[in-house]
Amino acid sequence: MKDTFSNSKLGSCLVSRGPRRELFIASFGCFIGTTLLLLAIQIYQDATIYLENNEGPKNYFTINKKIEGGALLNLAKKEESFDKQELDTIRQLTGVKRIGGFVRNKFPITLYIWPSGKIGFGAAAKTDLFFESIPDEFLDFIPKEWEWEENASIVPIMVPKFYLDLWNFGLAPSRVEYPALSTDAAKGMPIEIFIGKNKETTLNGRFVAFSKRINSVLVPESFLNWANQKFAQPDSRDFYFLWKEGTIDGPPRSRSDLSKLQTLPDFKSWEISPLGNPASRSSISSLLQKQDSDNEPSRIILEIADTPSPALLEYIDRNEYELNREFPDQDLIKKALQGIFAGVIGIGILLSLLSIATFATSFKLVVSQSSEHVKNLLLLGFSPGQISQIFYKRFQKLFIYIISGSFVVCLLSKYFLGQTAIEFGINIESNLSEYTVVFTVLYSIVFLIVNKTNISNSVLKLDK
Amino acid sequence: MRIELNHVVPYPLPKEVIQSSDVWDTKLCFKPNSANLVSAQSGMGKSTLLHLLYGMRKDFSGNLSIDGKDSSTLSREDWINIRKTSISLLFQDLRLFPHLTALENINLIPVANPNAPVVEEMADQLGITAFLHQSVVTLSHGQRQRVALVRALRKPFQLLLLDEPFSHLDEVNQSKASSLIKGLVQINGASLILSTLGSVPEIPFDQTYSL
Repeated sequence: MKDTFSNSKLGSCLVSRGPRRELFIASFGCFIGTTLLLLAIQIYQDATIYLENNEGPKNYFTINKKIEGGALLNLAKKEESFDKQELDTIRQLTGVKRIGGFVRNKFPITLYIWPSGKIGFGAAAKTDLFFESIPDEFLDFIPKEWEWEENASIVPIMVPKFYLDLWNFGLAPSRVEYPALSTDAAKGMPIEIFIGKNKETTLNGRFVAFSKRINSVLVPESFLNWANQKFAQPDSRDFYFLWKEGTIDGPPRSRSDLSKLQTLPDFKSWEISPLGNPASRSSISSLLQKQDSDNEPSRIILEIADTPSPALLEYIDRNEYELNREFPDQDLIKKALQGIFAGVIGIGILLSLLSIATFATSFKLVVSQSSEHVKNLLLLGFSPGQISQIFYKRFQKLFIYIISGSFVVCLLSKYFLGQTAIEFGINIESNLSEYTVVFTVLYSIVFLIVNKTNISNSVLKLDK
Repeated sequence: MRIELNHVVPYPLPKEVIQSSDVWDTKLCFKPNSANLVSAQSGMGKSTLLHLLYGMRKDFSGNLSIDGKDSSTLSREDWINIRKTSISLLFQDLRLFPHLTALENINLIPVANPNAPVVEEMADQLGITAFLHQSVVTLSHGQRQRVALVRALRKPFQLLLLDEPFSHLDEVNQSKASSLIKGLVQINGASLILSTLGSVPEIPFDQTYSL
């Protein structure tokens, strides 16, 4: 037995003018919903990738002791550095992988930055500044120019990336003599480093990298150790009153001056007190026995496993330390983006569900408008499957137009968004990601299955 | 194909019709390879009987079995298969598709009967060759009846159900149609149940029933 009918003849029996308005609304809703959904998914991926590539790492924190008092109280301020015992305690807290101390300069620094690219040419940006160093393993990356040896011609300097942004978007637009700088141009600027209150020593420096992790002006450890040794000036905290037999003896003396007195008789009976608090006397030998506080960091960087553990937070809170996560605004941007995209995805899903429902209703109408012919075909021995297939192919054709349209609109939107992003200095892929393509396929499969089932059920209802 | 009716009574039929019937509420068997004539006036349930046998109606009491199988146990798929390959019905209201031509209507069946002559031969025999490519809405009822008959004969069958097939045919055409039907039933080794208002076609019937 052979088939005698042609599918076009079978289809012609099931042609109805259809509920055109409902089908148009369903198609339009489906198109808008699908396009929104695909675009939201694609742009969310692009934004996430961009933020991940540009955000500060999540698992680096710095902590320092709370700065207290003002100018008048500075003489009496508490110890700001972390001693060895404190460092050991922090190191052993849950979630802490490693810690490193910030070493800072102990001498005045003034920088002259020459944006023109040549010293003495054009205007220099002049600023009093500080340097810090941390162990190299805490840097985002180690630039090849980071090595420093005594007599090296250039001191490599690493500043936070946002310093460059501040320059470009804050300083440069307001000062005609300062041009906006690309990263490479900024690296090419000669920098004069003047050391000492009266600029006794001049060194040459250069920005070699822009850090996204460390919120400080960094120089190599080797340079800072050398410079501190060579140019360090004792500060007020290193001067003490010397007490002999209950009275202050002479002017304040530095710690190194005091250590020179160790050989004198009665040395052990003498006492010292800080300049800001003469009443707080202690034994002179205990001062000299105490580890040299010059080597103790006042700020430390921690690498932790993930977010700070409760034990770490509790310890920080108890000791009234300050914890700074680098670039926390990235999180806010990401959360805001997540919120926006969740909203858009929600609207897209809602529209798609509505369009599925409208399609389902419309095709029920299409089937019911052909119900007389459907019943006759069933009585002639055609199976519900054969008849459903005719309606389903019609739906499939419509859906292919819709999904192709959505896909093309997404591609075009992505292209134009990409072009716009380039103008803002953001590079994003111009193609749709594989996740978006996979989602489109899965979404289409679900859409087709739901409507196929709906059409089959509508036809089966007529076979009674 | 063997059809057995055991006290079958369709629901809307009046009591007096049932009491005087040879078919309703009795034990009855349509044997394989038999030709059966069901004769009755209008409203006695001729179409109802054929529709019951074709699985179009299930609103009856009693038992109906097809080749020994209780019809109430037949699934949707069983009925689809039966209509596709075993039972062919010429509907009283013809059920042609008005937007198609006579030939397209004849060809619009799931599978063709391999024992049936080609369409042109049957059309020629029934005198409708000239109308084959004409839309069926332009044909007279008698011409449409012959188109529907050819379609019913083109389907494979072991049981042929014809619901008043000659109601709009003159005697000459009745004779031609009877000859074609007789030949094809014979070739297929099939049973025939033909309903009529009273006239007896030129087909030798094994059994005649009055509803």
